[in-house]
Amino acid sequence: MLPVPAVPRFDRRFFDGTERFTRIGEGAVGGKAAGLLRIHDVLQNGLDPAEFPGILVDIPTLTVISTDLFEAYLERNRLHEIALSDEPDERIAAAFQRADLPAELLGDLRALVEQTRTPLAVRSSSLLEDALYRPFAGVYGTKMIPNNRPDADARFRALVEAVKFVWASTYFAAAKGYIRATDHSIADERMAVVIQEIVGRRFRDRFYPVVSGVARSYSFYRSGPARPEDGVVNLALGLGKTIVDGGLVWSYSPAHPAVGPPFASPSALLDETQTAFWAVQMGKPPAYDPIRETEYLVHCPLADAEEDETLRWVASTYDPDSDRLVPGTGRRGPKAVTFAPLLLLDEFPLNPLVKRLLAVCESGLGEKVEIEFALNLRSPSQGPSSLGFLQVRPMAVSGERVEITAPETQAQGLLLSSDNVMGNGVVEGIRDVVYVRPEGFEARRSREAAAQISRLNRELLEAGIPYLLIGFGRWGSSDPSLGIPVGWADICGAKALVEATIPAMNVELSQGSHFFHNISSFGVSYFCVRHDGSHRVDWEWLARQPAVHESESVRHVRTGSPLGVKVDGRTGRGVIRVEGEAR
Amino acid sequence: MKNKPFNSFEMAQAQFDRVADILSLDPAARDLLRFPQREFHFGIPVHMDDGTVKIFRGFRVQHNDARGPSKGGIRFHPQETVDTVRALAMWMTWKCAVVDIPLGGAKGGVVCDPHNLSNREQEQICRGWVRQVARNVGPVQDVPAPDVMTSAQHMLWMLDEYEAIHGGKYPGFITGKPVGLGGSAGRTEATGFGVVFTVREALRELGIRPQDTVASVQGFGNVAQYAIRLFQHIGGKVIAVSCWDQEDGRAYSYRKKDGVDLDALLGITDRFGGIDKDKARDLGYELLSGDAWLEQDVDILMPCAIESQITGDNVAKIHRRVRLIAEGANGPTTPEADRVIAERGIYMIPDFLANAGGVTCSYFEQVQSNANYFWGKDEVLGKLDVTMTSAFQAVSEMARRQKLFMRDAAYVIAVSRVAQACRQRGWI
Repeated sequence: MLPVPAVPRFDRRFFDGTERFTRIGEGAVGGKAAGLLRIHDVLQNGLDPAEFPGILVDIPTLTVISTDLFEAYLERNRLHEIALSDEPDERIAAAFQRADLPAELLGDLRALVEQTRTPLAVRSSSLLEDALYRPFAGVYGTKMIPNNRPDADARFRALVEAVKFVWASTYFAAAKGYIRATDHSIADERMAVVIQEIVGRRFRDRFYPVVSGVARSYSFYRSGPARPEDGVVNLALGLGKTIVDGGLVWSYSPAHPAVGPPFASPSALLDETQTAFWAVQMGKPPAYDPIRETEYLVHCPLADAEEDETLRWVASTYDPDSDRLVPGTGRRGPKAVTFAPLLLLDEFPLNPLVKRLLAVCESGLGEKVEIEFALNLRSPSQGPSSLGFLQVRPMAVSGERVEITAPETQAQGLLLSSDNVMGNGVVEGIRDVVYVRPEGFEARRSREAAAQISRLNRELLEAGIPYLLIGFGRWGSSDPSLGIPVGWADICGAKALVEATIPAMNVELSQGSHFFHNISSFGVSYFCVRHDGSHRVDWEWLARQPAVHESESVRHVRTGSPLGVKVDGRTGRGVIRVEGEAR
Repeated sequence: MKNKPFNSFEMAQAQFDRVADILSLDPAARDLLRFPQREFHFGIPVHMDDGTVKIFRGFRVQHNDARGPSKGGIRFHPQETVDTVRALAMWMTWKCAVVDIPLGGAKGGVVCDPHNLSNREQEQICRGWVRQVARNVGPVQDVPAPDVMTSAQHMLWMLDEYEAIHGGKYPGFITGKPVGLGGSAGRTEATGFGVVFTVREALRELGIRPQDTVASVQGFGNVAQYAIRLFQHIGGKVIAVSCWDQEDGRAYSYRKKDGVDLDALLGITDRFGGIDKDKARDLGYELLSGDAWLEQDVDILMPCAIESQITGDNVAKIHRRVRLIAEGANGPTTPEADRVIAERGIYMIPDFLANAGGVTCSYFEQVQSNANYFWGKDEVLGKLDVTMTSAFQAVSEMARRQKLFMRDAAYVIAVSRVAQACRQRGWI
C-alpha cells in the first residue's frame, strides 16, 4: 500500500491557500482522505494534461478534520453512552447536534465559511476503513451544503451541523451492523471528516455536475461482449447519490462504450433509465432539519435538466416513427438518459479519459480499483470542462480458481443456479436460508419484508450464523416497487445474496450494483435468477424445510443438510447445491 | 523617586506616549487620548449586616467612546484606586480597537473585599453603584461587565436595578449575565480560550508545535483555568500554576513536573480561584513561593492574575528557556520588565491583545442581548477564534513590517484606529 503523504495544516485559506489538501487537527485522516492523498501524486505523475487538452482533471480542494477532534468531541460532550446505545438514529443524531464542537476546531471552520460561497460536501473518512484497507462504501453519512447564504453565521451553522451529522452517522444502526460484520467493534471506529468543494455548476436554483460516475477496473459479472477485466462504468446525471443509492443508472463496459445495458425495447429503456436526478438546493432555504442527510438536496425531474441545457450532453430522444432512440436532444420527443452524446457521438472524450484514469490508478496502487468522479461539462466557448476525481478504493478480487461448466448449472440437486453471478469462490456449510416468500408476494409488501429481514439479519449476526438470502427485485433499491428497500447493514450477515424475479416483480435486476463494494470486499456471492430464464430457484424444496421463523412475507429456514455455494468468477456461473442430500 | 508607589495610570500613559511618538500624533490627539473623557467618583452607602452603615468608594471611568459605546468591567478590590481604574479604562479602549470591535473603553470599581461581605451586602453595593451612574451608562453609552471579584450574580443585580430605574428590559445594558438570562454561551471560556488562540498563532510563527511546549501560569481564576484547558487540548503541558491564598494572605505556586491535572485542581479550588494547599500537597503538588511560577523551566509564561507581576525586580528570574509570554491579565508586566523581555528576544503577546477574548465575547453578548436572540456556543467560539486570530495576525504583521516589539505594534494599530475615529468625528 502506498503511504499516506504528510498533509499540511489548514492555514485558513481554502481556495487561495498554497496547499489544496490540508488538515485540521493532529490525528489520522481516515480511509477516504488517505485514498485521495495517496492517489494525488499518482495522478499528477501518471496523467499528462496534453493527453486530454481542454480538460482539467484534479481532485477538488479539500480539508480533513482528523480523528483526534472526533475523539475530543465525544469525550468532552460525554457522547459515548448514547453513541454505543441502541437508541434510534434520530436520537443519536439529535444528541450529537446538541453537543459542542471542540473549541480548537471552530475557528478553522468559521474561517473556511467566511471565504467560501460555493457548495461543500461533508463526507465521512473512517479510520477502520483505512486500517482494514477495506472500502466502507455508503456506510456513513455524507452531507452536501449549499454554503451560499449571504450571512456567514448561517453558512457556519450549516457546516457545523453537517460535521456533527457525519460524526453521528458513525453510530447509526447501519454502520453498527456493518462493523459487526467485519468482526470489529464500533467502539474501535474513529471518524475523520472530509470537507470538499462539490464539482458542478449552478443552474438556476440547482447545483450539480452534469455527469457523476463510478468506474471499476474489474467487473465481477460478465455483460454482453465484455470480460470481467474490461471493467464497468456506471453513469448518472447530477450528483452521484443516484449511483450510491442504487438508483437507475447507465452501465457500460469501457471496452464497449457503445453497448449499453440490455433493454427489451426502447419504451422499456425509457422506463428503466434515469428519470430524476439529485442536485444541491441553492434557492430558498429548505425546512430546517439538520439530522436529515438530504436536507439541502433536491430530486429534480429530467425536465429541469432540459431547462438547464445539461440534458443535451447525456440524453437521447425517442423517435416514435422509427421506434428507436436518436442520440442527442435536437428533436422533439421523450428523452432518455443514455449518455449517447458522450459515448457515441464523442462530444467529450469521457470513455478514453475514464479508461486512462482506471489504468493510472490501477498501476499506481498495484491492484484493481474503483474510482468515483464528477464531470463539469462546458461548450468550448464557455471554457474548459473539468473532471473532479472524488474517490479511489482498492477492489478485493478473489484469485481462487473455480470452474463451473454450463451443464453443471442444470444438474440435479441444486437449490438454484445462474449464469449471472458476481463473485468468485466456494462457501460451504451454510444451513440457514432467509427468503421472501414467492406465494402471493406483492411489491407493496417490500418495506414490511425489509424490516423483517433486517431483524433476522441482526439475530443471525449476533448468533454468528452465516446465511443465504433470497428476495425479489433489486436488493437495496430505495424504490419498493423495484425491490426490497434494505441498506447493507440490514443484510450484511448474508454469505450469498440471490436477486430473483417473479411475475409480480419483474424488473431489471441490479446485479449487485448497489452493494457492489460491500459484496466484493466481504466476498459475498450475488446471484441473479430470472423466472423467465433458463435457471430456477427450487421454491418447493425451500418450502419443505423446517421454519425457524415465518411470517406472511418472509421465511427463515434451517436446512437438514448444508448448502454449498460455488461461483466461477470468470464465466459468471454459479450454483448453490444441497450437500449430501438425495433429493 | 525610588520609593514612589507603582502607578498603573502613569504606566499606561507612558506606554501611550511612546506609541504617540511612533505615530507622530498631533498634540490634540495626545491630549485627548492621554486622559479619560469622563470620570464618575461616588460613595455607595450600605447598611451592613451588623447594623452599621458603611460607605464604599466607587468609580466609573470612560476613557474614550469614539469607536462606539464604552465597554469595561467592574472590579471589587480592597486596593482599588482611581488611577488603576483609569489605566484599565484606557487599556480597554486599546483592547477593543486592536480586535476591531466597535466599542470604546471604560472601567469601574468599588473599593471593597467581597471575601468579607455577605451576599446581601454585595447586592447593596451593586445596586448602589448602578443608582449612582444609571444616567451615564446603558446599552448605547457604556456597558459594564464582570471583572476582578465580580460575577454573573453581581451583573444580574446591577441589571435588575438598571431596569427598575429605566422602566424597561435592557439586557444589553450589561454583559457577563448567566446563560439563560441574556448571557452568551462561551463567555465563561472566552478570555482564557482567547489567550490560547493567540498563543497557538504565536507558536505557529515561531515554528514550534504546541505538543512540544511546557507552560507556567500565574493565577487560577477563570482566565487561567480556561487558558490551561484549551492549551492542554491543543497538546501543551502546564507544570505550574500560582494563586492567592486568602487564609495566609500571600500567593503560592503549585508545581507538578509531569503536568497539572486541571480537573483535579478545580476540585480543590474555591470560587475565587484559591487552591486548597493541603489537598494540593496530597495530590502530589510541590508548594512553592508565589513568585516561583515565573522561574520555571518552561517555554511559555502566562501571567493570568493581576497587574504588575513581572517587574524590574523579578524579570531576571525568567528562565532562559522561555520563548513566549502571553499576558492573560491586564498590565502584568511593567515597562522596565518589558524592556528586558524585548532585549532577550522573548515573544510577547501583550495583554490587550492576548486577553481581548473576554471583551470580544462580551461584545457578542451585547449584540445578542440587543437583538434578544442567542447564538450557540460553537458559533460564539468560532467567531471568537477568527476575531482573535485576525487581530493577532494584524499585530504580528505590523511588528514584522515595522520591526516593532509586539506590544508597540499592537498599540500602534489600536491607537491609530482610535485617533482616526476621533478625527473622523471631527473631535480633533
